[in-house]
Amino acid sequence: MKRSKNIDLARMRKRVGANFLLRPLALGVAAALVGCSSDEEVKVVSSVDDCVTKTQLDKAQCEAAYQRALDEAERTGPKYSRAAQCEAEFGSCHQSSGGFWMPLMTGFMVASMLNDRDRGYYSSGYNPVYRYSGSRYRDRLMTADGQVIGNYGRSSYKVGKSAMEPKPKVTKTVSRGGFGAVASAKSNWGGGRSSSGSSRSWGG
Amino acid sequence: MLRLPISERPHWQERAQEFGFHFHTMYGKPYWDETAYYQFSLEQIEKHIEEPTEEIHQMCLDVVARVLEDEELLRRFCIPEKHWDFVRTSWRNGDPCLYSRLDFAYSGQGPAKLYENNADTPTSLYETGFWQWLWLQDNVDRRALPLQADQFNSLQEKLVNRFHDLQYLTPGRELHFSCCKDTEEDRGTVQYLQDCASEAGISNHFIFVEDIGRDATGQFTDLNDQVITWMFKLYPWEFMLQEEFGEFLGSNNVRWLEPPWKAILSNKALLPMLWKLFPEHPNLLPSFFEDELDKAADFSELVKKPIFSREGGNISVVRGTDSKLLSDGPYGQEGFIYQAMHPLPQFGKNYTLVGSWLVDDLAAGISIREDSNLITQDMSRYLPHVIL
Repeated sequence: MKRSKNIDLARMRKRVGANFLLRPLALGVAAALVGCSSDEEVKVVSSVDDCVTKTQLDKAQCEAAYQRALDEAERTGPKYSRAAQCEAEFGSCHQSSGGFWMPLMTGFMVASMLNDRDRGYYSSGYNPVYRYSGSRYRDRLMTADGQVIGNYGRSSYKVGKSAMEPKPKVTKTVSRGGFGAVASAKSNWGGGRSSSGSSRSWGG
Repeated sequence: MLRLPISERPHWQERAQEFGFHFHTMYGKPYWDETAYYQFSLEQIEKHIEEPTEEIHQMCLDVVARVLEDEELLRRFCIPEKHWDFVRTSWRNGDPCLYSRLDFAYSGQGPAKLYENNADTPTSLYETGFWQWLWLQDNVDRRALPLQADQFNSLQEKLVNRFHDLQYLTPGRELHFSCCKDTEEDRGTVQYLQDCASEAGISNHFIFVEDIGRDATGQFTDLNDQVITWMFKLYPWEFMLQEEFGEFLGSNNVRWLEPPWKAILSNKALLPMLWKLFPEHPNLLPSFFEDELDKAADFSELVKKPIFSREGGNISVVRGTDSKLLSDGPYGQEGFIYQAMHPLPQFGKNYTLVGSWLVDDLAAGISIREDSNLITQDMSRYLPHVIL
């Protein structure tokens, strides 16, 4: 056979209106169950010593984990252009090497149950957490992307797998529109089908 | 290779709606045309199209390696000097590619002749990988085509598999997809690729090319200020290299699809280079740079193509000192190449072009385009095909 053996047509359908049932409801329930079973218990530790006391990691491993969390915080943490904006939401803030204001990391996550492989090199677990101090989410602990893991001060937290994954890096955009100028100039050209006012494909 | 009439599937427009195929009719004219189809033999597909497709792809990679080591050639290919290292580095790092489409003049007999390589921003992907696949399935189901009818089209399967590989090769990054605003066709193509990437389990986002931002250090950002670290762009490299944000390319840590080295392949200067490195290859047409036209004296008719162009723009036919413009367009500032005239085969009143797809280095299927004109352009009709 020279063609794709099977294409899942249900996946290829696009929602066209409210009366078009995209997927059976049961799928949502199943997904929710999967979500529960993949929850993980984590400790939130605030220092290397705290880490040694509360987790199965030894001192050297805790130091490495702490450093990794600091690096992650610098990379993915919330960034503000003014100190006051940051302090209004997180209280204590510092200025990063890039000149942004960022909240101080309250602590970092370590999974409660670590298998041997994880203990040696657990690359994605040590996400920094931040204690929100603004009125809306006062004393909630959250990861860099705003996912709340619970109230501050508990001995452990149940989190979904996604809370343990590395967060995409965020930054402050200083300008937009630096790509697209050539296409825009060429689409002013009046030939072909562009007489209808819509632009041409930039593919080929 | 035959062109055969067939009745349209009843209510196929509703089916198109159901599956989100919105550009089957553009500007009041049919683009998707299922009043006929092309029929190939298995031998035609495997010997005349599939084999040369994979072979030519390897030959093209040889050209990339050669050009990147030679400054004079980089100038001939109109790669801006400030971006030479950017393009070279992507090649030396072995940055993986996703897909490309070789366009052939093929009549069913004799070798298919390469017109060009759409290696950077090929479109008509959804129509090929999914929509013509569904057309065959539906017509077999309603007994309009025999049960054993096949199609040279493993495009979707191969795209999903390739995205699996790409995720493994690009760990820890989310993929941003991008194309220009105001083009439904390009957005549809990109949405299809997003669907394939999602099926392979890749976290992905969409941003229009015009909306891409940058931070103070030159990292590219999306509309949520998330740093872009891996990007598919349905937007030509030759445009990006000369635009304002082009200065940040190479200094920020972004993986690109297609990778920057594809700038060498989606470039008509490829054609004379192929002819130089593989002279008399049965699937190549004699091709020349502008300053080599003395070598082209044997050819009474040459086709003049811009180094950079899209959708068949700015093509002329040259006979001696006489030049006749066949298609208008906004291209040609960078100069031209010349290719021996080899007209498209005619089926009835239609001139027919075969697009042959590659996913990475594997031949993955074909798409057929028809036009009443010798030049295939963006409004040329798309027809499905079968193997029988």
